[in-house]
Amino acid sequence: MKIRITRRALLAGTAATAGVTAFAGPWKHNRVWAQKTDKPILIGLTHDASGQFANSGQDEQRGTIMAIEEINAKGGVLGRKLSYIVADTETTPSTATRIAERMINRNEVAFIVGAIQSGVANAIGQVAQKHGVVYFNTNSSSPTEAGKDCQRVKFVWDGTGANFANAAAANAVKTFGKKWLLLTNDYVWGHNTSKATRTTAVQYGADIVDEILVPVGTRDFSPILLKVQQARPDVVAAAVGGDDFKVMRQQTVDMKLDRKPAWLNNQQDWPDVYGLGIDSVFGVFGTTWYHKLDLPGVDDLVKKYQARWPDTRIDVPGNVFYNGYMAMHELAKAIERAGSTNNLKVIRALEGHKMSAKDRMQHGDAYIDPVSHHVQQTIYMAMGNDKPVDKTDYFKILSWASAEEAKDKNEATDCKLQPLDKTPSYEM
Amino acid sequence: MDLVHLLLPHLLNGVALGLLFALIALGFMLIIGVMEVINLAHGSLFALGAYFALSLMTPDGGLRLGIAQVLFDLPVGWRYVIVLLVAPVGVAIVGMGLEMCLRRTYGKDPLYGLLLTFGAALVLEELIRLAWGPTERFIPIPSAITGGIAIGDLIYSKYRFFASGFAILMIGLLWLFLEKTPYGALIKAGAHDSEMVRALGVNLTRLRLFVFGFGTALAAIAGIIMAPIWGIRPHVGVDAVVPAFVIIVLGGVGSFWGAVIAGLLVGMVVGLTGAFATDWSLISMYILLILVVTFRARGLLGKKSILEN
Repeated sequence: MKIRITRRALLAGTAATAGVTAFAGPWKHNRVWAQKTDKPILIGLTHDASGQFANSGQDEQRGTIMAIEEINAKGGVLGRKLSYIVADTETTPSTATRIAERMINRNEVAFIVGAIQSGVANAIGQVAQKHGVVYFNTNSSSPTEAGKDCQRVKFVWDGTGANFANAAAANAVKTFGKKWLLLTNDYVWGHNTSKATRTTAVQYGADIVDEILVPVGTRDFSPILLKVQQARPDVVAAAVGGDDFKVMRQQTVDMKLDRKPAWLNNQQDWPDVYGLGIDSVFGVFGTTWYHKLDLPGVDDLVKKYQARWPDTRIDVPGNVFYNGYMAMHELAKAIERAGSTNNLKVIRALEGHKMSAKDRMQHGDAYIDPVSHHVQQTIYMAMGNDKPVDKTDYFKILSWASAEEAKDKNEATDCKLQPLDKTPSYEM
Repeated sequence: MDLVHLLLPHLLNGVALGLLFALIALGFMLIIGVMEVINLAHGSLFALGAYFALSLMTPDGGLRLGIAQVLFDLPVGWRYVIVLLVAPVGVAIVGMGLEMCLRRTYGKDPLYGLLLTFGAALVLEELIRLAWGPTERFIPIPSAITGGIAIGDLIYSKYRFFASGFAILMIGLLWLFLEKTPYGALIKAGAHDSEMVRALGVNLTRLRLFVFGFGTALAAIAGIIMAPIWGIRPHVGVDAVVPAFVIIVLGGVGSFWGAVIAGLLVGMVVGLTGAFATDWSLISMYILLILVVTFRARGLLGKKSILEN
């Protein structure tokens, strides 16, 4: 059979092949944007400035902005200043997706930093991965963030629920008893944190007598507190966050149930407790940093914070500010190490990077796990301070676990990072 | 543990919770019943009451009210009583201002009033955020009503007992006011046939102004009472307006006892699901609403519509 190819068919075929190749070929995944070396490096700040985690989002923002100002005061990065735009995620994943798309496509940000709520962090991470934009999840602590929802472009800076459970569970079983009850906020962070707590506690001999799901937005905990009393557990391990946690704490303290049973509150974010009085802190909980740590640099940071933010109601920096502040400084250092804003080079500069205890103002060294992109770091266990030295001294640090002791071993199997060559590249 | 010991604490807690829900819905019921206005700003006025109370209770309350310094020297108990009397008046004045804006919508499509109060709710919430900041706040309460009280082998909050008792008192006082005073009779007549009331020489404009102010004062009282339980934050009003709306529809629009019974029912349902199926506790009130409205569209004690004849 003779096949006749007309000139028109040949031209149409060539055009179609070129079109398909342009849109579906490898170039789609590896765009190189024009360098703009004379312009500041634009960073998108995605903080939860309203909604359930508004207080923490604003504290995190103070940290990232203060770090940017300090970096610029020292001449910027690679001779370029950092500039930023801020958008409120409203603690809502759908809003976060919209904001991330707009920041990348319209504002052409080079990097994205910020999130408190795990749903928000996951949503931004997905958009960032699609475009290859390096994203720092500063304060969302769901174990899934460095587990099944990990991304090649995403780096997780806070300790996760699994880290806090690892640091606390063994001691809690020994000290308080084996009969445990779990309170689980009914969303991704709550479920994953309780799952991690259950696994670790059972491993150390605990018996989980019940798990009560707490819907997001619960304002009345009286039925739950009555049920807790009826169950008579030795330990209540609570994975309840944001406004729900504040209301639960208030009602628990009001009923004087904060002493017995023992409350293990996975993590206590500083903005959620500061201003309520030292008496309102209850249970044993984890944190990544405290402003009274007896370590070099801590006092200086407190003074710098107070000079920069004299009017904020939170008089001293806490863990949420700290994570935002440290992450932004590490981003600048990674760009310097990479010698470029090229995202793939920056990712390589971050993976496996070691940070000394001195630089981190923590008791142990930290590193960015190349397998999960999670900052493995010191985890502190604390409780309400019965001998405060001043009105900001809410916490008594009980102990600390090293990065290796607190590490979530499941990250290695749960996290499947996308290959670097499948990650879109860019340089801004 | 036998069934009685297992259920009884939760049934009693449900009643206490129901009384608090009824207290939240009273002001909403009064305004919708008399003026046929769905006041979506009810929640924000509820929050405003709590914030006014905060400013009067503690020097750290956010707003620096110079006159309040006299109050701060008094014991907490006295301050609390004075706040319960003064803060609702402040909110009533704000409510009256809102009613004056609403006047242009009377007699028109109800959607206008709905939109106006919705807008007012957003404005009030943002004003609260500007004035007091976004952070969580708590009102100090007298030590006599803080802490737990042992009932058998369970501990229950003293403050909840106080709040439930206060709700009963408010329900009783409002009932007496509506049923046993000439002004209450006017309000009911206004709700029944406002044109006839005007024809009889009653100043309907002033009556509506008073009712709206009174309704918002009730919202403020509920806000102050609920503040130590729910805490105070700018968007706390959303937590109040939604159950208030559900209770009013469930009880029958404009029905006093309908609102009280619906409040108790919602409290029982939320309390029991909160204990035995916690993940259903928030939606249980909506399921109850759907069930009741499906079989009795006018609510439990609502007036029969002409369409049902």
